[in-house]
Amino acid sequence: MRRVVITGFGVVSPIGVGKEAFWEALSQGKSGITRITRFDCSTFDVQLAGEVKEEIDLPASVAEISAEDPKVGFAFAACAEALAEAGIKYLDEETLLHLGTSLEIFHLERVIKSGEIDFKAIASRTLSPDEPPLQIPLDTANRLVCEFFRRPGESLTNCSACAAGAQAIGHGFAGVRASRYELAVCGGFDSMINPLGIGGFQLLGALSTDNDRVESACRPFDASRSGAVLGEGAAVVVLEPLEKAISQRKTVLAEICGYGSTLDAYSLTAPDPEGDGAARSMHAALEDAGIEPGRIAHINTHGTGTHLNDEVEAAAIRRVFEGCWQKIPVSSTKSVTGHLIAAAGAVEVGACLLALVKGIMPANPWLKKVGKGCDLNHVVGEAAAFKGEYVLTNSFGFGGQNATLILRKSDGAR
Amino acid sequence: MTALGATASATAENWRSGRRAECRVLEELAGTSLENLTVAVLPEFDPAMRLGGRKMLKYMSEAAVLGTVAAHEAAHDAGVRRRFQPERVGLYAGTGLAAANVRDSIPMIRASMDQNGTLSYRLLGEKGLPSASPLLSFKILANMPPCIVSIIEGVKGPNLIFTPWEGQTGAALREAWLAVASGEVDCALTGGADSATHPATVVYLRKSGLLGESEYPASGAAYLVMERGETARRDGKRVYAEILDIETRPSDTLSRDPLAERIGRSFAAAPAILLALGCKICGTEVCVSGVDNQMFRARVKVAL
Repeated sequence: MRRVVITGFGVVSPIGVGKEAFWEALSQGKSGITRITRFDCSTFDVQLAGEVKEEIDLPASVAEISAEDPKVGFAFAACAEALAEAGIKYLDEETLLHLGTSLEIFHLERVIKSGEIDFKAIASRTLSPDEPPLQIPLDTANRLVCEFFRRPGESLTNCSACAAGAQAIGHGFAGVRASRYELAVCGGFDSMINPLGIGGFQLLGALSTDNDRVESACRPFDASRSGAVLGEGAAVVVLEPLEKAISQRKTVLAEICGYGSTLDAYSLTAPDPEGDGAARSMHAALEDAGIEPGRIAHINTHGTGTHLNDEVEAAAIRRVFEGCWQKIPVSSTKSVTGHLIAAAGAVEVGACLLALVKGIMPANPWLKKVGKGCDLNHVVGEAAAFKGEYVLTNSFGFGGQNATLILRKSDGAR
Repeated sequence: MTALGATASATAENWRSGRRAECRVLEELAGTSLENLTVAVLPEFDPAMRLGGRKMLKYMSEAAVLGTVAAHEAAHDAGVRRRFQPERVGLYAGTGLAAANVRDSIPMIRASMDQNGTLSYRLLGEKGLPSASPLLSFKILANMPPCIVSIIEGVKGPNLIFTPWEGQTGAALREAWLAVASGEVDCALTGGADSATHPATVVYLRKSGLLGESEYPASGAAYLVMERGETARRDGKRVYAEILDIETRPSDTLSRDPLAERIGRSFAAAPAILLALGCKICGTEVCVSGVDNQMFRARVKVAL
């Protein structure tokens, strides 16, 4: 089977737009968490999020849809950056485009107009040619990428919640490795920073209400952690066979060498308390990569900052890496980006690239006192130097979907 | 679960006998330009009875109910729980557009309007959210229907969930077939569900020109169990059909949904219903092209 490498990476995140800005901010532990500015959330319990504040340069037709549904613009920009870095102008029939996302945006204000909450009135108004549709389907970003970069052999929209971005990359990796595709453009995009997105997660009790702590509100694995903070953005990688990348003299950012995908089959609302699904996901990725756990030199956790998730993930990591977990530095980048839901896994592949390309492991800057059951070799305070060959990243989705990716330093960088 | 029958056998039998789905207009669209548009009516069924209990029903949207009932029938028929290690069973599924029950949102919306009848985010935070059901998110997140299937059926293996049109469910079916054929999994539970008769979905489909004048939408779901032939023979299981090939590819040529005339257009559910019907009764090849310009084609050899 072929070796698969990353030749392009694009990112839009609350801490920076573009690979270099993202890496710089992560290296410095800069937080993207602020008070929500998109709408008046002063009466919401949750008032913090990681918003993308920079203007993104988009073609007019994409910008128009992005104004309605910001995540679509994020996806387009991340794809454009990744393709440009990989030197790819157009997709073709041997290409896979696979993007993950989670939830259709719903403009509540369109349902309420002049006191109407009668569906008939809403329907009549929506059917008028001058009115925008109530729904923006989740494949809209794929459609726009295909319009601008031509149609690939396959265009997939993955909706595996917080595992979607990692799952899309894992599926693309497996497809290129098995020679099903010559090129894969994969990643995730999301934004739930709107009244119903924030409100819906608030109702689930999964978000931090530490509104006074602002930038340090998300504290994965800390004893005082109080929940996740939502973020928004997108990240996309370009995957190619190693031989092709070498023959075309492309810069190889890293190799992907292992992927695991499992289901908890336990609960919609909570992870399996034994961490069985998470542990099996990591085991599957290690087996797929053909390496022993001790070869992993760095882990980027799912690390959402919720009580249950962090404890379960830490236990699963200790079990999988029994005898060596104390030596493996662990980063939890949601502490500064927030939880980008379907984009999280892809953005965190970008954090792994920071270690593999620049030799920097981001810190978990707000971790002061490790929570009960959360013992791991956390990178605290400031970023640390990375020495090693393999990096593992976890993504565990709402609903019980788990995905793990293993990346390897490129031959040239070793 | 289709408008022709609440089980695979009933659907197949009614298809064979040439029946057509019953249709009705949507009360929610009365007085609009779509007041005469009809949608397929699903046969009555009791999901609690079909699933063996009420567990998780409160989390389910219509698509989730249809999907879990269809998946349960398929998994039970094949004896998935009894015959396979849960970690070696994969789940590959397609889901349609998000479609929350409008009634679920009305208390929240009503509480969020100010005296002028305008949406107020302050009121949404103060009164709207406290009056909303915390279960709302479960009913609109696109991955929930297959995740509920995984919990009910105890499926713990590799998984992929795609959305929201025909080509995406077609891809899920293909990935399932490849995963079984390659030995990545021993068994795959695979299919799709769509609540295409939801009033908001109907409005979207018609407004976007995705539903032809002569067409009518249908909610539905189908799941299949795929396993290697030798495993089925070893266990003495009935084989409905052998899958010879599943292909998905971009296509601008519209290949009409062969279900559309008699079952209605069920979008993300259509490839799974087609493949299930193809395996059960008809024949050698099933094909449909989707709203996403992806063609799904499967060739099956029906066991006699």
